[in-house]
Amino acid sequence: MVGLFKKLFTLLPHHIAYAHCDIPCGIYDPYYAQVAGHTVLRMTNLILDRKASGGNPPFQERKEIIHDISRFTKVKEEHAEILKHEIRVIWGDYFKEEHIKEYPHLHELVFSIMKLASKARQEIDIETANELLEKVQEFSEIFLKTKGVTPIRVPSLYPTGLDMVVYSK
Amino acid sequence: MLLLSRFEVSGHSMVPSLLPGDEILVSSIPYLFKSPRLNEIVLLSDPHSKKRMLKRIEQIDGDRLYVKGDNPSDSHDSRHFGWVLRRFIIGKMIYKLS
Repeated sequence: MVGLFKKLFTLLPHHIAYAHCDIPCGIYDPYYAQVAGHTVLRMTNLILDRKASGGNPPFQERKEIIHDISRFTKVKEEHAEILKHEIRVIWGDYFKEEHIKEYPHLHELVFSIMKLASKARQEIDIETANELLEKVQEFSEIFLKTKGVTPIRVPSLYPTGLDMVVYSK
Repeated sequence: MLLLSRFEVSGHSMVPSLLPGDEILVSSIPYLFKSPRLNEIVLLSDPHSKKRMLKRIEQIDGDRLYVKGDNPSDSHDSRHFGWVLRRFIIGKMIYKLS
């Protein structure tokens, strides 16, 4: 009898009811923010390391220095902005009230990341770039904990010589 | 108003109660005679996108409802768009076909 009813019900017009989260559907990862943080730090280092051969270098060398510094600065600018975007998306779209209750300093952490990323764009300061990466790693650890996994820091193998936050089950 | 309609579930926000592809029956008739109750699964109109979405009633305050997906880590619900007015509720899920 139940089977008959079910067959009758299948004759009803068919509609879609959405049970979606948002788009993209649950796919969040602080990996890109970390890579961007490493890039900002690396570019800051490259800018500081780029030296002239003397006090009054020849025109060709000056051109090369300007060229290199321009490229490093452009990439530093871009990746600081990528970092801010990635953190904003995870903070705004992924984190929910229950996460904030568990990690009450999250808003403050995100605020400091935004400020540090802007400062890293404006200045050529290793301390700022290091602090920025450290805050992004802290953010990544919180994210992974909310996913029920244990975050660990492993060597990134990047020229920055610093870690990436990944997880172990 | 929905007398009786068949809906296919799309998305994961009601997992494990409802899986993507599940078919359900929804009707407005039950809410003609009584108000929505806690824990009922309702079809509502998303206040922003106007899409018809499925959520479970978690809290009721007069004619306002707080709805949430059964899979909270993957659900867009009252935690994002706030309390929903009763008029946005289209109907009640009355049966799961599959």
